[in-house]
Amino acid sequence: MTLTEILQNMWDIFIKYYIGAGLLWSGIGYTLLLSAITVLAGTVLGSLMALGKRTRFKPLVFVITAFVEVLRGTPMLLQLYVAYFIIPMLLKMPGLSPFTSVAIAMSLNSAAYVSEIIRSGIEAVDKGQTEAARALGLTGKTTMLKIILPQAVKNILPALGNEFITVIKETSLASTFFVGDLMTTYKVINGFTFQTVPVLFDMAIFYFLLTFSLSKLLGVFERRMKKRA
Amino acid sequence: MLEVNNIYKNFGSLKVLRGVTTHVDKGEVISIIGVSGSGKSTLLRCMNLLEQPTFGEVWIEGKLMTPVDPYLHREVIEASNTFAKLTASGMSTDDAVHKIKEEDLLKEKHSREGAAYKKLMKELYEKNHIDVNEGRRKMSMVFQQFNLFNNKSVLDNITLAPIETAKYHHAKNMKEVKEEVTERAMTLLKRIGLEEKANVYPSTLSGGQKQRIAIIRSLAMNPDVMLFDEPTSALDPEMIGEVLDLMKELADSGMTMVVVTHEMGFAREVSDRVLFVDEGYIKEEGTPEQIFRDPKNPRLKDFLSKIL
Repeated sequence: MTLTEILQNMWDIFIKYYIGAGLLWSGIGYTLLLSAITVLAGTVLGSLMALGKRTRFKPLVFVITAFVEVLRGTPMLLQLYVAYFIIPMLLKMPGLSPFTSVAIAMSLNSAAYVSEIIRSGIEAVDKGQTEAARALGLTGKTTMLKIILPQAVKNILPALGNEFITVIKETSLASTFFVGDLMTTYKVINGFTFQTVPVLFDMAIFYFLLTFSLSKLLGVFERRMKKRA
Repeated sequence: MLEVNNIYKNFGSLKVLRGVTTHVDKGEVISIIGVSGSGKSTLLRCMNLLEQPTFGEVWIEGKLMTPVDPYLHREVIEASNTFAKLTASGMSTDDAVHKIKEEDLLKEKHSREGAAYKKLMKELYEKNHIDVNEGRRKMSMVFQQFNLFNNKSVLDNITLAPIETAKYHHAKNMKEVKEEVTERAMTLLKRIGLEEKANVYPSTLSGGQKQRIAIIRSLAMNPDVMLFDEPTSALDPEMIGEVLDLMKELADSGMTMVVVTHEMGFAREVSDRVLFVDEGYIKEEGTPEQIFRDPKNPRLKDFLSKIL
């Protein structure tokens, strides 16, 4: 296959399947939906876990630490498989869509990473800030809410942005369960046309455009945050 | 006004303070001098419980901030059989005191006496104690590294703690409080000539400006005593003067101050009393005249000969 042939096929597939059959919009839609759910749920859960880890309640700290270590130490695809089979069973809902199971698994996985990001963000705030606040007679709670967390959020925004981009790429693993995301379109189009490389190249372009524009957007956001302080 | 009684502080096996007792009277300016690692900063940080003393008591205006130390009185320990046994086995006096306190050996020996003593101490504590945060508001601290809040403007840095304090005390008219506090903050900023910096963030200020703002941030709490932890050590040489001038001004206005410093000129000119801290003890204490003209302790002589 020559390069011109590949390019020709890429174009044909793009027009016929991605635009004509609307696979581009549904694929990007599902990918972004899955990413958004994962990042939102992951951030909320991750924050709770990070705060939980700072308590003096040892069993809670142990459970969270174990959870984080297991999720970070096993392959994502394996976690998705486990969730795919186990979550419908646990929830006693055999008809649960694979999308839901996958979204739950990805959220938990993301929460593990986000909790570590937030924990390090809080720890990166200079100890002197806490000392000054406490020395002025502020309570631990006020110190956390008014001094430490606002500074921690600024520290962790870049890392959170990276996590978002990673999540977008990781949603491709969900195609294993045919959830309709961008990577799933490969299986669909491949089924119709028996084409491989041109479809893959098309998808590579879509993924790249998604992540690249997102990282540019985050860059603008970060610069604006920096200006304010 | 501020009293520390028999303060011990261990960091792991490192004994930083080994029984320090002193008091600060109203209007007094006290300088604490000594070599690095002598425990002088730790002593200051024990005063407002940024470091929790291992043993000993801190009193502010007759109110107890630390838990009551059942072995506060060294004589009690020294009179005990355990103490005699330990020193007989070759332990030094201080190490024996330390061991008894750390392992609560007296309580084991005289359990009934110990229980009664403890009950008395608990009553004493309940009658006399002051909440840690409440106590800290009476003795604000200025740090070596300034520690202005990076996420707050200069004005907010100064007003934050007084406003929060009013909230803790359930002030009725918060709007009025905010206006009052802001006005006071602006007056203080004017006093140091930095009123045009009210709305900028700390990252744009010079070290000298930061430290002067940190000082008036402490001042805005209307503290009874101000603690200074080497306030000029992190400054460029040309900025030390402006900070020392402000501190002198405060001292002249009758503010009670405890200053850990390497600025011997300041200690000599401004302070009423100088404490020489070494190896976790106050080795010598006196007026600047006594300390600088006529030092008695050999370690102090050595220290002064190196630094002057």
